[in-house]
Amino acid sequence: MTSATMTSPVRPVDAQSPGAAFPAIPFSRLLRVEWGKATDTRAARWLLALVAASTVGLMLAPLLAPSRIDQTYTSYLRFAAVGLSILLPIVSILTLTSEWSQRTVLTTFTQEPRRIRVINAKVTVSLLLAGGAAVFGGLVTAAGLGVAAATGRELDANLNAGVLVGYLLFVLLSVATGVAFGALLHNSAAAIVLYFALPIAFALLGRASTSLGQWVDSGTTFDWVLNGEWSGHTPQILATVILWVALPVAAGLVRTVRREIN
Amino acid sequence: MITTTALTKSYGKTPVVRDVSLHCEPGTITGFLGPNGAGKSTTLRMIVGLAHPDHGTSTIDGRPFVELPNPTRVVGTLLDPSAMHAGRTGRATLKIAAQMAGMSTDRVDHLLNLVGLTDAADRRVGGYSLGMRQRLGIAQTLVGEPEVLILDEPANGLDPEGIAWMRGLLRDFADRGGTVLLSSHLLHEVQATVDHLVVISRGAVVASGPLSELLASSSLLVRTPDPEGLARALRSAGIGYRPGPDNTFTVDVHDGRITPEMIARAAVDQQVPLTELRQSDSGGLEQLFFSLTAATADHSQEAAA
Repeated sequence: MTSATMTSPVRPVDAQSPGAAFPAIPFSRLLRVEWGKATDTRAARWLLALVAASTVGLMLAPLLAPSRIDQTYTSYLRFAAVGLSILLPIVSILTLTSEWSQRTVLTTFTQEPRRIRVINAKVTVSLLLAGGAAVFGGLVTAAGLGVAAATGRELDANLNAGVLVGYLLFVLLSVATGVAFGALLHNSAAAIVLYFALPIAFALLGRASTSLGQWVDSGTTFDWVLNGEWSGHTPQILATVILWVALPVAAGLVRTVRREIN
Repeated sequence: MITTTALTKSYGKTPVVRDVSLHCEPGTITGFLGPNGAGKSTTLRMIVGLAHPDHGTSTIDGRPFVELPNPTRVVGTLLDPSAMHAGRTGRATLKIAAQMAGMSTDRVDHLLNLVGLTDAADRRVGGYSLGMRQRLGIAQTLVGEPEVLILDEPANGLDPEGIAWMRGLLRDFADRGGTVLLSSHLLHEVQATVDHLVVISRGAVVASGPLSELLASSSLLVRTPDPEGLARALRSAGIGYRPGPDNTFTVDVHDGRITPEMIARAAVDQQVPLTELRQSDSGGLEQLFFSLTAATADHSQEAAA
């Protein structure tokens, strides 16, 4: 089949305006390709394995310290959420930055010059990974609860839809923050360092001034999301989502479209 | 077909590309030649939408590159072979390109074989030599069965055998109706490959046209054991000449109005023997290119001083 291409014309002679003859790249294809890029390298697989390990590791806390930690379904699930949120955002940072660091944007943006579509695919992949990780965290929680029950502990089965929504939103927001740092900074090392350093700086600010801190410290507001404490906190939660997710993503899209690729 | 009109770009106040107009026809290989830093890469990046011109336009088959719905089915681009993910294998790199283009990934094995990377296909690109990355890059440009190839310094890192191989591949591609635009900073590297040349210096085109015309020498060299007889013969035929060393004469061709045959006939008429009659060595292009490179070298020395 392909050997024939070396003797046949590069285009059939009757082809009219050949550039237009090929349909646009469907978003589903971009999504499939970007999913592959996010998960097919050794570094990405190690990182995903570490995400899994840290989630399992955090699950040991309520198992090993039953006297200090509430033995409820909800508290077990929240340990899974914290375990996921440590390293999963790094996966999404790298999904957004590694093509800049490896300079493969040079190829990618000649394959699809509508750069926003590529970024949209990367963001979607990150959120799908977050969804998958949330399910994984749920399974780890179930396993943890199973072990606890097998040791004869009394567990309060206090799960409800609100707890599950808070859990899922917390995981998605953690990942979205990583996405935002990557989308804006285009550099793996800078994005990872700032992702860890900036929230600490803002948390210190929050300690110095609680009234100001609760509007900028996503550590505090995302915990409210996880714990379902929306009442009285909704404006603060939305403010931190705008500050840490919406604004950097928007600025990152503008920067990506304008940037010259060298 | 690649067309650019008056592409112009500055970085800050430094002009990088000035009024560059190119036209590459199907079935031809165009060499984009100039010293390092002349603006070749920036021009190629503007053609494929990676850099934005201040003025001017560029099109592929009449459309701007960034408006092509699925560009790699039309244009194969290789701008920098080091811009590949070091952690991915050669095969995985080509699979991604095939998926993006919407081509069957069955094509990957054929392409690996075509560029001689079958044995290295499952090694990580981080361990590839520059020449191997160049070959992988060529394979990547061919994934979408394009009709246009745009290659920045494709001979970099290739050994003489590799350059000969690529020459054959590009010639075949052009002979089947494809359009090729490739850049180089070495004249001898592209001399045997290209049909057309565009020479660029400090951002501006300084010479362009078919290779044969640009390389054609503007003078002929004649050698004889009887210099006085030949001088007489040329004078009587009305042909101007300059005597040179070792019984040679240099004759200006005056844009083809003076031919080797006229010189030979003038010598026969006066029964003067000739031992040599050919084009002079110092091709105009070669001298032009040498002077450009030298000028740039001087310039950079000034800047460094």
